[in-house]
Amino acid sequence: MSPVMAAPEGLLLVLAIFGPVLGIPLLLVLGGRQAERIGLVLLALGLGVAIAIATTVIRRGDALEYVLGGWAPPLGVLLRADGLSIVMLATTAVVIGAAGLYARSDFGVPRGMPETRAPLVFWTLLLTVWAGLNAVFLASDLFTLFVALELLTLGAVPLVSLSGRAEALTAALRYLLFSLLGSALFLLGVALLYGSYGTLDIALLAERVRVEPATQLAAALMTVGLLTKTALFPLHIWLPAAHAGAPAAASALISGLVVKGSFVLIIRVWVDALPGVATPMAAQLLAALGAAAILVGSALALRQARLKMLIAYSTVAQVGYLFLAFPLASATQLGTAAWTGGILQAVSHALAKASMCLAAGLITKAIGHDRILDMGSIGRVMPTTVFAFGLAGFTLMGLPPSGGFVAKWLLLRAAIEGAQWWWVLVIVSGGLLTGGYLFRVLSRALAQSDEPPGLRSPLDRRGERLVLGLALLSIGVGLVPLASLSIVHIGRGL
Amino acid sequence: MTLTITSLYGLLGAALVGLGLYGLLVQPHPLRKILAFNVMGGGLFLVFDVVARRGAAAWFPADPVPQAFVITAIMMALAGTALAVAIMLRLFAETGRVTLRPEPPASSDGQGGDS
Amino acid sequence: MKGPLLIATWAVPLAMLAACLSPRVRTRMLALLGLAPLPGLAAALLAHDAAPLVLDDSRLNLTFSLDPVAAVLLGAASLLWMIAGIYARSYMSRDPNAGRFAQWWLLTLGGSLGVFVAGDLLTFYIAFALVSLAAWGLVAHDDTRAARRAGVLYIGLAVFGEVCLLLAFALLAAYAPGYSIAIQDVVAALPENPARHYIVALLITGFGLKAGLLPLHVWLPIAHPAAPMPASAVLSGAIIKAGVIGLILFLPLDPGLSGWGTALTVIGLLTAFYAVLVGITQQNPKTVLAYSSVSQMGGVAAVLGMGLATGNATAAMAAAFLAAHHVLVKGALFLAIGVAAHSGGRRTWTLMLPAGLLALALGGLPLTGGALAKLAAKTPLGDGLVVILVTVAAAGSTLLMLHFLFRLADTRAESPTARAKAGLLVPWLLMAFLAVALPWALATTLVGVTVAQSLTLKALWVAAWPVMLGIILVLALRRFGGVLPRVPEGDIVVLGSGTARAGRVTVNLIERVERRLCDWPTAGVSLLVLTILIGAALFAGPTLFRGV
Repeated sequence: MSPVMAAPEGLLLVLAIFGPVLGIPLLLVLGGRQAERIGLVLLALGLGVAIAIATTVIRRGDALEYVLGGWAPPLGVLLRADGLSIVMLATTAVVIGAAGLYARSDFGVPRGMPETRAPLVFWTLLLTVWAGLNAVFLASDLFTLFVALELLTLGAVPLVSLSGRAEALTAALRYLLFSLLGSALFLLGVALLYGSYGTLDIALLAERVRVEPATQLAAALMTVGLLTKTALFPLHIWLPAAHAGAPAAASALISGLVVKGSFVLIIRVWVDALPGVATPMAAQLLAALGAAAILVGSALALRQARLKMLIAYSTVAQVGYLFLAFPLASATQLGTAAWTGGILQAVSHALAKASMCLAAGLITKAIGHDRILDMGSIGRVMPTTVFAFGLAGFTLMGLPPSGGFVAKWLLLRAAIEGAQWWWVLVIVSGGLLTGGYLFRVLSRALAQSDEPPGLRSPLDRRGERLVLGLALLSIGVGLVPLASLSIVHIGRGL
Repeated sequence: MTLTITSLYGLLGAALVGLGLYGLLVQPHPLRKILAFNVMGGGLFLVFDVVARRGAAAWFPADPVPQAFVITAIMMALAGTALAVAIMLRLFAETGRVTLRPEPPASSDGQGGDS
Repeated sequence: MKGPLLIATWAVPLAMLAACLSPRVRTRMLALLGLAPLPGLAAALLAHDAAPLVLDDSRLNLTFSLDPVAAVLLGAASLLWMIAGIYARSYMSRDPNAGRFAQWWLLTLGGSLGVFVAGDLLTFYIAFALVSLAAWGLVAHDDTRAARRAGVLYIGLAVFGEVCLLLAFALLAAYAPGYSIAIQDVVAALPENPARHYIVALLITGFGLKAGLLPLHVWLPIAHPAAPMPASAVLSGAIIKAGVIGLILFLPLDPGLSGWGTALTVIGLLTAFYAVLVGITQQNPKTVLAYSSVSQMGGVAAVLGMGLATGNATAAMAAAFLAAHHVLVKGALFLAIGVAAHSGGRRTWTLMLPAGLLALALGGLPLTGGALAKLAAKTPLGDGLVVILVTVAAAGSTLLMLHFLFRLADTRAESPTARAKAGLLVPWLLMAFLAVALPWALATTLVGVTVAQSLTLKALWVAAWPVMLGIILVLALRRFGGVLPRVPEGDIVVLGSGTARAGRVTVNLIERVERRLCDWPTAGVSLLVLTILIGAALFAGPTLFRGV
């Protein structure tokens, strides 16, 4: 194992995880009135830390490591930021920041009003989710990853139930139970691996791993456990209901980030921790589930009467694209291109979907409902929001120039070069269906004949700018030159 | 092959996991699901303890690391259970009953066909 | 100087669109639409021999280029966009949503001119997607039931076309040597491409859909009547040419692909005849013109197909000249319908005389641009069966256009004293003049057809007999037209309703499955089954990701 490194930049990794964690007691001590201020300061600092980590890793051209407390693995905990980590850390910082800024109007405490519990709870949970995500991206042993995953779940579930309405509570309970089931399967797999190899450190495991029944069983259990949390079809069943009742900021976090956390873990398990255990058939199986998710999710999104549900089923579909990377990465010479495509899909979908969820929140706040049929002419009263929604839709459809386009282009190229025609068909028909459900929304929003719906509350200009900014970022990811995208492979031996 | 105490614990743990899994999936009431989850968790921790013996056989009489893992995992299970019970109580307070049967999520309202 | 013109061609319309963010500019933008295509026109005149311009070649690597063939189409399209923009200023002035119309207009314009200056796969795809998708805003602008239906059909087919092109481009790029995605390089490598049959099939489907080739022409006759008049003019004149330039740029005319060349010729000829047959059953003059566009594009496709079959690269310029003539004439005729609809009482000579001349020019009347275009197409067409069929199709065109003239004469404003405003009349007459004069002015330079050549007795006879045949046919149509069946606009689109029903049934089924999946016991079973499946898959076969 590498010697214990004391690079001073390594402390940044500690800061990324413990910054949000230390914020929580601060919130509890200083109370709800200060929650927003503390939260926003932490968001700004966190973004700075994420950028600092990213620039350090890119400058070094190698992964950044830090050993907590000087205890080297297998006993100690090693934090490690590679290319995949920095990309996801930066995306997380941006989306969490946007969700936090957006929530100022939902969970702010107006001056002179009595303090409520909601802002305190919201900010606490937001920081919990954030700490969980950062830990998922930085931890490098399976047990710490398990704890991070649990932290993520325990933060995300109450966010869903924040409104306190019965359907939100039911959805949260379903989410929690399903997620705990996934955690249990994951932990069972971890136990089996420890029993076989006596370590859970990813790098050590990769050296020791043998292809044998116990390892294969462990891999299967961990994969399925993570799939339940990633909401891959047919284990997506908690996701739409969770979105329906959740506040807009929480939807943005769950659709955009939380499901990506467990996706990153699947890559870690399959590629980093257990190299040589995965088989082509298993990769094809994962991608087949992804394909089913794309087709079923998009078809169901076509049918939804409510905008939030449409967005939720769109997430089910878009998560499917992530899994197409597995067989494509293994079958082609350009395997790295498929991974880049998959990871870019995760990033651009996170940005675009966060923008859409917040846009849906703005629309709901402005007209008091999110029924698509009764949204006629809303483009006239909220042009910025509808424009941002359309831009984000560009990314989801994979139209150029957007992050989604480059991601799907890379996957398409990999599928062609690997002679896996069936995935080509899935990718393009998914694009067609996505166009279909987005058109349903946009054609209603841009209709001119109807009276525009009356506004219940004044437009949230700041929220509109935020939504537009996220959508523009999701497009802008597509303008990043392809060569620079190889940063996702730093420190990953690819 | 004789049945050692380790294998017995392992089998017991596996049985508990199976039992818990069955309950979690089949029992309709959320409280029973939560209990089933805890049964499953108990089995899991037992398996982990068995592993502690096996994995450590080469070096120590018993490996302390999995024990630390199990304690942490128990804390996580506790937190999860507490959260689930809290949501369930809140749900009971809101509606007077507790059920997980959702409204059909894919409600079409019979008007999906305008495209 | 030339490079920036290529950029300005699409950047100026988009910059004007960005300026619409300010509400004050937005309300006035309608009046400025005529200015937006000016850089495009300048580029066509001044930069048609420019070296390809590569932006930021180390990283982004976007290429813009303009060759003489594309410049012909760019020039014609810019002129039409400009004059139709001026026309729109008057035509749309009462429309409360004129600001929105102007925005969609500029967006479509940026893409429409952008396809002509695109030099690599990415820029071409972006521009093509822009013109395809943004034109929806023009089609559905009126927001009537018909416009909404047209919009849905249009966007559905447009996205389908995009998907075909995306696939074709991915295949082109995947097998091209090196990393270049410049159109020249990937097309040069196409004949050796192992996937060339798929690629050409996808290209013909994607571009053919846009150009209106059978059987994907259905959107044209439905979208045109639904759109406002200036939008119909650019739709039929300029926007469908995105498909033509696509075929010209991406089909390897030299060395050629004989099988696909024949296929494209057959598709083109079928389209040319079929559209005439359906077109003469139509009553709405806009629909008649739409079918005429379909028929004309069939002719262009036939020329390109013959060029592809025989490996004759001159087909590109001949097809471009034919298409550019169609840009000007068809654009002008749509403006004529708008003038007619705004004037009452007797038809004036300022309307019917130029319209008659232009209409017959499409059929190839001697001494018109149409006859010149047909002469230019003679080389690639050869002297076999195809040239006879194309000539008979010209007779069909004459028939269809005379039918249109009768429908135009019957179009009038309700009030007998209504007079078309100068804002409509002047652009129409200007467009008509350009459509007559420009082919004469440019024929020699572009396609090497001299005036003397077109005045020989043989050439006059070859051009004249189809017109005469057309006149005889239209007399027969006037006499016996009652026996023709009424074909709905978009003819075979009704076949699509079966597909739609099947789709709905499928989604219903998926919904039912989804509801079952959400039950806990089912969810549990799927979880277990999945674990077993993944476990089994991990036991089977060789392993992956080792040593990465």
